[in-house]
Amino acid sequence: MIEVKDLTFSYSKDKQALHGLDFTVEDGEIFGFLGPNGSGKSTTQKILTGILQGYGGKVSLFGRDISNLHEQEFFQKIGVLFEFPYLYADLSAVDNLNYFASFYPKEQRRDVGELLDALEFKPDFLKKPVSSYSKGMRQRVSMARALVNDPRLLFLDEPTSGLDPSGAVLFRKIIEQERKKGTTVFVTTHNMVDADLLCDRVAFISNGNLVALDTPKRLKEKNSDHRVVIDYLYQGQRESKTIEAPELEAGIPFAHDEIISIHSQEPTLEDVFIQYTGRGLS
Amino acid sequence: MGNSFRALFKKDCRMLVSGKFFLMAIGFLALYTAYVDLGYIRFMQMPPYNVYLYDPAGTQTERSPLVQTVSSMEAMDAALLSDANGVGLDASTGEVRVVLYEGAEHVDRHRADYALSLLELSASPAPEVLGTNTPEQKARKEITCEMLFFELTAVGFLGIAAVLFKEKGIGVIRVHAILPLRKDLFILSKLTVFLLSDLVFAILLTLLNVGSAEGAAVLPVVLLQTAILSLMMALVGLLCALLLKDLRQFTLAYLVIAIFAATPVFLSANTSVKFDWINWHPFYHVYMGLKNAYFGTAISPVYYAGAAGAIVLLFLAVQLAFRREIGKEG
Repeated sequence: MIEVKDLTFSYSKDKQALHGLDFTVEDGEIFGFLGPNGSGKSTTQKILTGILQGYGGKVSLFGRDISNLHEQEFFQKIGVLFEFPYLYADLSAVDNLNYFASFYPKEQRRDVGELLDALEFKPDFLKKPVSSYSKGMRQRVSMARALVNDPRLLFLDEPTSGLDPSGAVLFRKIIEQERKKGTTVFVTTHNMVDADLLCDRVAFISNGNLVALDTPKRLKEKNSDHRVVIDYLYQGQRESKTIEAPELEAGIPFAHDEIISIHSQEPTLEDVFIQYTGRGLS
Repeated sequence: MGNSFRALFKKDCRMLVSGKFFLMAIGFLALYTAYVDLGYIRFMQMPPYNVYLYDPAGTQTERSPLVQTVSSMEAMDAALLSDANGVGLDASTGEVRVVLYEGAEHVDRHRADYALSLLELSASPAPEVLGTNTPEQKARKEITCEMLFFELTAVGFLGIAAVLFKEKGIGVIRVHAILPLRKDLFILSKLTVFLLSDLVFAILLTLLNVGSAEGAAVLPVVLLQTAILSLMMALVGLLCALLLKDLRQFTLAYLVIAIFAATPVFLSANTSVKFDWINWHPFYHVYMGLKNAYFGTAISPVYYAGAAGAIVLLFLAVQLAFRREIGKEG
């Protein structure tokens, strides 16, 4: 679906934002693009969404070089959720969505009411102006806007930002549903929980360089020190021991009466990111 | 393309309605019309200076009804004290003596000549009158032209910029970057809405203030000039709103355009003040185009070519600025 080869971009002569990125995103994959502020995530997404021109290297989407894609046709196939909910504040959710939907062919448009219903939008607010909505409600309308054309390729920038935990769970469910339909999803985020739970593969970008690309599971495994912490009871005393995981193959290698818990010391995705880049994600 | 344009046009109209732009335009129309009928025309029909005559012997038999007689020199002094622009004529000694408070020399001469001319109506030469407009028609056309120019350059310019700043502020411009629509339609739709609203405004302002028969006669050319100025100002407004960071910066640009650009134009076009460089001022030609339209004077094809070129260049600049804006960081 997406093929990026040696992608470079400079905002000015002395400000190179991207230093030769290489990655591919398969059809129907949820691909996470993680990086701290100013790392080149947004620049990459803008190039992929056809907003930024003048890049170096090769970018192919839908099997065709992006510079040769017919603009209208290309934008009909993609959906973009921006980091901020860009909506007309004086219009209602329904009016906003009807307006944005009107730029797509009729047969491609999804039902606005059904979309908002799926996103658990409060029905009382359907006709009220967006200016009266909470951040979470605006984010729901924005998500509906990104999905209104039933896109084949969905770009999501911080999809769960501004949502409460149940809203974040709902959004992840919606994204999963989209993937099941065959939609490819490109997620840029700071949120490691989203990346870990949603993404088939994640790429770490730092200072315009791709420093790692793999499944979240493998990235964590590769960077794990393979230790486990065992809490146990022995002669009425509660104790804790850290051992190498392979030692467990032959059973618990120390005397004990009762095992209380065994915890692997697997790093979080954020730990792995810091290991690769030396920087946190905030 | 048609559907996209319709959607954009409808949305822009709704934004103008919600921003009470049309209400404001109706308010301005009412205000201008009231000013023309209740103030300006009456003011223009008033004599330029009050003339007070002290003529105890009644020697000035041919005097105009505009001359006000006073009973004594003290009464004349009192009248001139309360009306410093007035002119006194003292005929008490047999010869007429002009009495006035001193102003600029050339104005004082004019005041004195005017006052004396009111005493010798038969001796005043009858000048050959050029043109067919009555003084009231002339005054109505001049003031309507000025108000339309002001409305288009200052108010319309501010209106379109305000709409775009709003869209820029809430970020929806960036959403249009990823919609399957020709990006120039976004600009064209706004231009169309403002152009139509300016044309309707020009029709109503002209018919209400110039008169229905006179107004209808000049309307086609006036509308053409309105369209030229409206498009130029809307494009300049869009360009400013796209290039400038916020409304504070825009206010400064607005002041520069509205005051420093429009003032010399008004001075050069409507008074005897002539600046050598005024021919290089683009708004001077646009204003004169509008004024010529109201007075039925022929307009040079070179002017039309220049105006068309300016509109095309401005449109391209706006397109470039729009592309730059939608590619900006969130």
